Amino acid sequence: MMIEINSVNKIYNEGTPQAFEALKSIDMHIDEGEAIVLSGVSGSGKSTLLSLIAGLDKPSSGKIIVDGELISKLPDLHASAYRAKTVGVIFQHFNLLESLSVEENVMATLIPSGFDMITIQEMTRKSMALASISHKATTDVKSLSGGEKQRCAIARALVHEPKLILCDEPTANLDRANSLKFIEILHSLHNMGKTIIVATHDPLFESLSFVRRVIHMRDGAIGNE
Amino acid sequence: MNEILLSNEVIVYLLSETLLYLLLFIAFLVTLGLLKKWNFNAFTAEQFILENRSYLVMTIIFFVILLKVVLLPYFVYTIDNLSDLIPGAMCGAGVIKANGYGNPLLILKIIILFLSGLWLTVNSIDLGAKNYPYLKLKSWFFVFIFILLSTEFALDILYFTHIETSNPVSCCSVIFGQIGGANGLPFGLDIPKLMILFYLLFLLLVLAILADNALLTIVASILFASISYYAVVYVFGTYIYELPTHQCPFCMLQDHYYYIGYLVWGLLFLGVFFAIDSAIMYYFFKINSKALKKISLILLGLFVLLSSAYIAVYYIKNGVFL
Amino acid sequence: MLGKRLMNSTFLHFLTLLLFKQKSKHIGAVLISVIIIFLLSAVLFISSSLQHSLLSTLKTQADFSVSRVQAGKSVNTPLEWVDKIMEINGVSKVAPRVYGRYFFTPRENAFLVVGIDFFDEQNSEELKKLVEQLDLKTFLSSEGMLVGEGVKKFLSAHYFKDYFTFKTPQGSFKKVKISQTLPIKANLIANDMIIMPIDLAREIFGMEEDEVTDVTFNVPNDAEWDNIITKLHLMFYDVRVVEKREIKKAYENLYNYKGGLFLILYLVTITTFILILYQRYSMVYSTERKEIGILRAIGWSIKDILKLKFYENLTIVLVSFILGVILAYLYVFIWDAPLLSQIFLGSANLSNNVSFTPVVEFGLLGSIFLFYAVPFLAAVLIPAWKVAVTPPKEAML
Repeated sequence: MMIEINSVNKIYNEGTPQAFEALKSIDMHIDEGEAIVLSGVSGSGKSTLLSLIAGLDKPSSGKIIVDGELISKLPDLHASAYRAKTVGVIFQHFNLLESLSVEENVMATLIPSGFDMITIQEMTRKSMALASISHKATTDVKSLSGGEKQRCAIARALVHEPKLILCDEPTANLDRANSLKFIEILHSLHNMGKTIIVATHDPLFESLSFVRRVIHMRDGAIGNE
Repeated sequence: MNEILLSNEVIVYLLSETLLYLLLFIAFLVTLGLLKKWNFNAFTAEQFILENRSYLVMTIIFFVILLKVVLLPYFVYTIDNLSDLIPGAMCGAGVIKANGYGNPLLILKIIILFLSGLWLTVNSIDLGAKNYPYLKLKSWFFVFIFILLSTEFALDILYFTHIETSNPVSCCSVIFGQIGGANGLPFGLDIPKLMILFYLLFLLLVLAILADNALLTIVASILFASISYYAVVYVFGTYIYELPTHQCPFCMLQDHYYYIGYLVWGLLFLGVFFAIDSAIMYYFFKINSKALKKISLILLGLFVLLSSAYIAVYYIKNGVFL
Repeated sequence: MLGKRLMNSTFLHFLTLLLFKQKSKHIGAVLISVIIIFLLSAVLFISSSLQHSLLSTLKTQADFSVSRVQAGKSVNTPLEWVDKIMEINGVSKVAPRVYGRYFFTPRENAFLVVGIDFFDEQNSEELKKLVEQLDLKTFLSSEGMLVGEGVKKFLSAHYFKDYFTFKTPQGSFKKVKISQTLPIKANLIANDMIIMPIDLAREIFGMEEDEVTDVTFNVPNDAEWDNIITKLHLMFYDVRVVEKREIKKAYENLYNYKGGLFLILYLVTITTFILILYQRYSMVYSTERKEIGILRAIGWSIKDILKLKFYENLTIVLVSFILGVILAYLYVFIWDAPLLSQIFLGSANLSNNVSFTPVVEFGLLGSIFLFYAVPFLAAVLIPAWKVAVTPPKEAML
């Protein structure tokens, strides 16, 4: 899982007076199995960069290559297949489907992939166990606590066994105890060989043993390594 | 004219066609925009919007074709019902001939369905690639189909507004049959020769499909489709009606023959469509679709089986052929 | 290709789940849909059932009826025409008829009085059945008549319970006993009808013994029909010929006309409906947008979302359709359509209570389905697309 980011720019509202350069000529290289942290205040561009790597958005110029595949210019059908197979995203606000249960939320990722029901149920079970949320499988998400929602989001992000895990401000809505638990889970994921990128300004992430690099970002550019 | 227009089926039919045409018109306008401004390599927000709009076009086309597949038999059903109001017409055949627009309309409908099916295939292939290689091709293709669709819509309105309930029309026995002394069969074929040709062409088509020979498949399909038309009207039909002089493609769509006509014509159309579709995919796009070939073989096989069954059953019941 | 991915069962399973958990979103659309389908189906059921009954009664009628005209009006026809007509080749079952409208003054209501020869073979199946059930001797010895439901009710209301006194054109009175009421099943035709022996009818209308109202006959070979009409005109200079096929056409036109009127009304309703739908589904509910955004973020393509929306809407359409049709069926064929039936039967003459015979053809259901489903799906197509293509990032903020 090698990630190459070459001269990536992202400008919102291009051509209008409200034009805003969110990312300026970003170059980055991430090795397989590496765990890195993008740190910086909100508005520094780290979330934007993350969403580009996740294929959720497209850069205004430049290239993003993941595992040899140019994902910055993929048509929707392929971009979504990329997300469904290779990437697991954990969002700051969890972004779960409130009206469904934990199990159903986790399953949702697998539905378009064409697996049969039995395989899906098996994968869901495994993933929920990994995230320690199996005991709440049939509970509706809206009645979960913050920490439990986070674990549900983790289960969902892992169910398809992606090689790349992206986390956007994962601990922003958690208390310290749950934040530490989250970091533990990340550690075990790192041990499984997954590539991990965390965008956060939580100081807890500044000095983790398994994190190889902490990349500081400011005003859309990389500060110092 | 008024009674025709006020009949329930015609109102429903024309209303549906109008709504579909409106949607298609929107798709047409969007396609024009796509043709003008499409540039896959641009990273602009505009290009992104265009990619989204291309989804609108394909959604509309998909929806429309789905409904047109339903509207074609419904059109036939409407026509059949109108035969009560028009003197001399015993089935749809007479109603179609009530004015000069009927036949072209029907043929155009079939052609449009066919081309739309092909469009969906090209679209599928285009989406499968990573850089929309066939976007311009499929857009121009749609523009062409849209011209045909506009003609169809115009013909729809012209046809239904020009049916005179005071002019008697001929019944199918006159149009297709031998009452007027007309032979009807091309190239002076007679029934036995027609049947031999029918089964031979079927064999040829099957072999062409199995041998993955795209060009031969296309040619054989067209030949087989033409021969089948004559075979169904002049031979198989007579066994369905159990009357050697009753040669009509429409009467078999009525309820007293258990609507078998829909099955017969449907199987033929779909079988030929999938055969040509898979051949085109292979020849132009180098994609070999086993599934499509299988489906077309099954459908064509069922068609031949079903039609032949009527002859077989009649022979078994009566010991002679008609 | 298309077919395979469309039928993915896990997809459908997930969809059903989603739909189920979000039913409140769609209740409004379903409700309006059911009402519209219900009304439409009820109207079409009634009209097709009526048409069916009328046409099947018509089937048993004679092909032709001829009468004499004078100054453009039908007048009493000479009985001797019967023999002359019988001589024409290809004619069968020649039967004279005596009937007319008897006006009950001063109320201005009318009964249809039909005189039949009870010993003759009857042309109409209905009459045949009736005659078979009668005890002819008792019936004919007392001067009696058979009356339809509407007539019976009307006469009772005017204090004529067991008999009725007719006033003949000559000014004399004729008292006739009400022997029996015609079965309710025949109400469509027989409601305001009175059947009596032919001579009695003649008395009441002041007709001579050698006069009849018209003569009916059949011509089995339809190729001969035009010929026969020409012959008739040659035979009698003052004849009017009424053909059954013209009546049939007229009935069909009548029902298409009345049905067509309603359909135009529906066009207006449906247009409003489409506009409301378009509006409602266009209003990008932030929750739905967010949910779709989430699905896109976790790997659902635009195509997948479109599939989702398509199935969602199709389900709404199917459920509404089935509910609406079933309700209409119950209303028309089980409860006999109170209110609506009056509009169709036109309570012009005597009040009529008709029970509708269930006649449902697939073509009719197909028409109702298309009429509803096409506008509905067309209206939600663009809003569905709009929601499906919102960039996931935007939708989640």
